[in-house]
Amino acid sequence: MSMAFRGNSRRKTFVGVMFFGAFAILGYRMFQLQFFEYDEFRTHAERNSIRCIEREPMRGLILDANGNILVNNQPIYTLTITPFEFREESIPLVSSLFELDSGIVRKALRENRGTAFEPVKILRDLTFEKIALLEENRSLLPGVGYIVENRRVYTAQTRMSHLLGYIKEISPALLARRGPYYKPGDMIGYTGIESYYEDVLRGRKGYEYFTVDARGKVIERFEQGKADQPAVEGADLVLTIDMKLQEYAERLLRNRRGAIVALDVNNGEVKAFASAPDYDLRTISQAMTAEQWRILNENEGHPLYNRCSMAAYPPGSTFKMMLAAAALQERIIDASTTIPCPGSYTLAGVTFKCHGAHGNIDVVRAIEYSCNVFFYKLIFKLGFALWAKYGSMFHFGRPTGIDIAHENPGVLPDESYYNRRYGRRWNKGYLVSLGIGQGEISTTPLQMAAFTATIANGGTYYRPHVVRSIIDRAGKGKQDIPILQERLPLDPEVWRVIRKGMFLVVHGSGTGYAARTSSVHVAGKTGTAQNPHGRDHAWFVGYAPAENPKIAVAVIIENGGWGGEAAAPIAGAILRYGLLGPVVPASVTDTTEVEAAKPAKAERPAHILAD
Amino acid sequence: METPRRSTIPVDFPLILATIALCGMGLASIYSATHGTALFQRFEKQIFWDLMGILTLAIVAVAPPRFFHYSAYPLYGAGILSLVLVLLFGKTVAGNAGWFGIGPFGVQPSEFAKVTTIIALSRYVSESGTTLRTFREIAGAFAIVGLPWGLILIQPDFGTGIVYWASFFFILLWVGTDVVILLTFLSPVLTVLLSIVNLWLFLGFAFGISVIFYLVKKHIGFALLFLVLNLSAGFSIQYLYDHIPEHQKARIAVFLDPSRSPRTSGYNVLQSKVAIGAGGLTGKGYMRGTQTQLRFVPEQSTDFIFCVPAEEFGFVGVMLILSLYGVIVFRGLRIALRASFRFSSVLAFGATSTIFFHVVVNVGMAAGILPVIGIPLPFMSYGGSFTITSMALVGLLQHIHYSTAQTK
Repeated sequence: MSMAFRGNSRRKTFVGVMFFGAFAILGYRMFQLQFFEYDEFRTHAERNSIRCIEREPMRGLILDANGNILVNNQPIYTLTITPFEFREESIPLVSSLFELDSGIVRKALRENRGTAFEPVKILRDLTFEKIALLEENRSLLPGVGYIVENRRVYTAQTRMSHLLGYIKEISPALLARRGPYYKPGDMIGYTGIESYYEDVLRGRKGYEYFTVDARGKVIERFEQGKADQPAVEGADLVLTIDMKLQEYAERLLRNRRGAIVALDVNNGEVKAFASAPDYDLRTISQAMTAEQWRILNENEGHPLYNRCSMAAYPPGSTFKMMLAAAALQERIIDASTTIPCPGSYTLAGVTFKCHGAHGNIDVVRAIEYSCNVFFYKLIFKLGFALWAKYGSMFHFGRPTGIDIAHENPGVLPDESYYNRRYGRRWNKGYLVSLGIGQGEISTTPLQMAAFTATIANGGTYYRPHVVRSIIDRAGKGKQDIPILQERLPLDPEVWRVIRKGMFLVVHGSGTGYAARTSSVHVAGKTGTAQNPHGRDHAWFVGYAPAENPKIAVAVIIENGGWGGEAAAPIAGAILRYGLLGPVVPASVTDTTEVEAAKPAKAERPAHILAD
Repeated sequence: METPRRSTIPVDFPLILATIALCGMGLASIYSATHGTALFQRFEKQIFWDLMGILTLAIVAVAPPRFFHYSAYPLYGAGILSLVLVLLFGKTVAGNAGWFGIGPFGVQPSEFAKVTTIIALSRYVSESGTTLRTFREIAGAFAIVGLPWGLILIQPDFGTGIVYWASFFFILLWVGTDVVILLTFLSPVLTVLLSIVNLWLFLGFAFGISVIFYLVKKHIGFALLFLVLNLSAGFSIQYLYDHIPEHQKARIAVFLDPSRSPRTSGYNVLQSKVAIGAGGLTGKGYMRGTQTQLRFVPEQSTDFIFCVPAEEFGFVGVMLILSLYGVIVFRGLRIALRASFRFSSVLAFGATSTIFFHVVVNVGMAAGILPVIGIPLPFMSYGGSFTITSMALVGLLQHIHYSTAQTK
């Protein structure tokens, strides 16, 4: 039996011949390379070899909607050292000429020992005087040279720090994650659209091959440059931002902490995106020292932090529309259903207060007066599961998908969230605060703006976006970014009811009267985010014109206290400015702008005790 | 009538000595390629790996008779499990997520699973009554290799994945499977690559291969099945490709078109050819090769290790190394031909052909006649998991040699 498997002997002979043949081919190939082509390769190796030089492409520009350049490039000179040619003895001269710590030079050389023939970037932004000094001392400094790099230049009147984001030398961690395209010393987008559109903006590096001798001197282009790959310039971005409105929003936030996001309700275009305090991109594009970074990072106002899309706050009463919309759509209530508000609500011995006793109140009035008891009771009628379902439908607890890096999805708690967090020990009491947008729910100003836009346009959720089109001059030309939209399955009647309530908030006897402007009807809602660490944060979300909405806005002022006082006037001013521009109609004396520039001191009607 | 038959000597000395000699060449080459650089620790690490490899070889060689026959499937299961675990908990090195970190060492289960897959496939094709002539039997063998391959593809590690299909091809060739059926079965592997390159190329290939199969074999059922297999493989890869992160896409693109990344592939081959050619007949002398010493060839301690002896010892050194591999491969073939059991024969051939495939592809790659797919050179390239795996394959050959010697 042992021989049974030896049946197919022809096959085995074939395998043996194949194996032998393969070795024979390899042997012949070696003979070919090492005997016939020996002279050619020896010359190659002696002269000495082929070197690949990287050519950095021009990074794409960023333009406003009218084609004005906001972010440009400027050539700068960068000192380089090629380790293979460089002599240790030159270090003292290099450090004295360029006022460099010799430790920096040694460290850079040590970290790049593997690539002895590639220039290592040592110092950016050399002046012409330094370049002249370098040229004078060339013969004493073998291996020291300079290359031309590009630096970002910011030409806009506004800062737009968080929106644009900065580019910075790639960190080792990012280098490991982003794969082989980058190498140490390369610049990469870190935040904002510079990061989100990194692959679009950066273009593609070019490679040029040179034959070099054993001392690294270039002898000629390898194969007359046939193997070269030219660099491909990065594509330009055209923004959706309304530059005047952006500038105005930044002005309104001066000396405050907070954020303003304004959207076009009919396509999701971001019109203004301001977060304060901010920082100057110009300083970051200079060579910043570690110390400067530390100061910026540790500033107690957290200027690097993008409050528009990275900071999540409890939405407070601005979230009442979400609950109302869900309850109306699920037929838990209709526009005429009333719920009694005796001024407080008691659950398991704990009393939750309202701003007043509103009596039997319907949903429109409940929004107008921001009645808490109405919504405490409503969330129990609706149920937690449906509340979470509708919340998620409006993109709460998940990213809006905006094209700005590092978006915070916020938190939309549901049953599994509480189970994870508290085990089985949580009870209905936890839901009470959710009914009025407090507790463990948190949303970003961006999410609130997108939600408000959805209410305003009657139920279409547009993905907010700041880039309208990409101009790829090296390739496909100008391409518009498709507008992503979702039609939400809610009846038009639901939106009409909610919008009526929001109109009355501003123009009825509601909490948002301070958002009124004399020239256009505003609808909106105030909110106050409870803050355990200090004064509450003030919210206002709104849109205008109320009759035919065009712009939606969300404003948060950190530690601003009551939303109707701190946030509403700013939102009103933004909406008016966004629609009518800076020109004040002759017949009207509008003082909103002036008032909004300092904390508003609106008088509070007697019937409003809180927001 | 010669007296004691040579086959009764329990140790295959040529096999073992060639293996150890190649390990020595490997250490010398790594030393030459890394001394004076930050990578020099690789030399010290490789000494440790070679010792671990020899230990593995010895353990596999002295395993109880028929041990691998009985434990083929459990070993295979363990291999699959390790591939799943590495996807869930592994870390990423150079864009490849197939590593476990153990202290200062990285371990790649995809290497070890090569051995367990070969053992399982050998067992499967040697079950009594298996003729490998029916569709179902070939499909079974296909599944045994396809499962680990799919898991490795996710990492993604294409080079290692290709080795699995090479082993599949050689083993089925050895047991006498119809070559047309075999090639058709391997066609989805090509489809997968084509589908990433171009939709029409892939569709044309998928339909074409089925038509050819039908014309040759006149079996409409098989032809349709292959069509479905090819189309589903191609489309599912296209779907996956659209849903994977950018850096993995970049890896695939470079694999398919090395000129896209001249820093890592095209450039390497250029430099590697210069290194080999400049070696001439007798070489430039140990530690005196300029291509090696000036670090012109990247990856020189791993995938392009062959350039080091080629430049420093020339054609003479190259012939010595190829002869040593020749000794291993032809001793392996001899062991496979003389084995007393079908399983042992298939397994011995599987181990031999896997080593053979690595050598041919790696050397062919360095010499610029095969595409750069990142397959290391057995016994010489730096790398722990791969060294241990290669030694385990030699251990299997010695194991089978010993049991054959016992039964004669």
